[in-house]
Amino acid sequence: MVVVLVWCAGAVCREVLGVVMARSSDPAGTGQWVLLSYRLPREPSTPRITVWRKLKRLGVAQLGDGLIALPADARTREQLDWIAEEIAEAGGTATVWLAQPATLAQERDLATAMAAARAEEYSKVADQATAANALPDTERERTVRRLRDELRRIHRRDYFPPSERDTARIAVENLAAPHTGAHAAKARR
Amino acid sequence: MKWATRSAIHIDRAACAWLIRRHVDADAEFVFVADSAGVPTDATPFDMRGVDLSHHHGDCSFETILRRYEITDPVLWRIAEIIHEADLDDERYNAPEAPGLDVTLRALSMVCTDEETLACTSRIFDGLYEYYRRATLLGREPA
Repeated sequence: MVVVLVWCAGAVCREVLGVVMARSSDPAGTGQWVLLSYRLPREPSTPRITVWRKLKRLGVAQLGDGLIALPADARTREQLDWIAEEIAEAGGTATVWLAQPATLAQERDLATAMAAARAEEYSKVADQATAANALPDTERERTVRRLRDELRRIHRRDYFPPSERDTARIAVENLAAPHTGAHAAKARR
Repeated sequence: MKWATRSAIHIDRAACAWLIRRHVDADAEFVFVADSAGVPTDATPFDMRGVDLSHHHGDCSFETILRRYEITDPVLWRIAEIIHEADLDDERYNAPEAPGLDVTLRALSMVCTDEETLACTSRIFDGLYEYYRRATLLGREPA
């Protein structure tokens, strides 16, 4: 099964495991990425931690020391612009770049690593949802709200959705409606 | 006065334009540019990298404008929390309205020019202002 999603100006084809990107406009066939290269003073450590938390929240790929990447779109470009601004205000230096991986294999490795990081996050949500099935109603409802929020956050930084995404969604929906959930989840497939 | 910002506007720029026209400059005229190099010399830029009326120390541009013009209206600061979360999603504030407003703006920008988005959203922000004004007076959500 190949799902085609519109991404940037090109198209992203998602396979069940690997991620292959097709872009006819350039020889390598790779997509456009936005890179942030930055340096921040070691002290004070608060801005370093703030920046790192923000980057983590965006689900960036770490390419090297002080070099991170995201698939380029209007939102990711803008977010990295603002983080660059914040780094400059904290006494650091930052530049934002648009780049293409030189080979498809390189891009695939990057995307696979990002998908694996999200898969791990989704699996944690699914495990927590399953474990919460045994809880009393009120606690179960509270867990549903918390996990739905968590799913939304992961979703925002999920650029190459792994299959664990559906597993986690179904686990949380089953927790929300324990008697009808399994049925509904089956019907949606 | 002329004001300039980046084209393909989203939540922060739309809200800033509304705020400027409502509370700073009633005759504001907006210019949309692709790059900061394209800002006309007689225009005040906002929500662009490297300009004063932009993101600073984790604030979005809407918050910066409120600070620079010393606007203390609590209703506008409540709206600022929503704009901040819709724009930056960093959970500085509890603003459950933000994801919905974010989607609304993204959706509008798919079918509207920047001028149309401004016209559309200016009524949305008028309405939000009235809603949170009543909420502030009542101390609860208005019906």
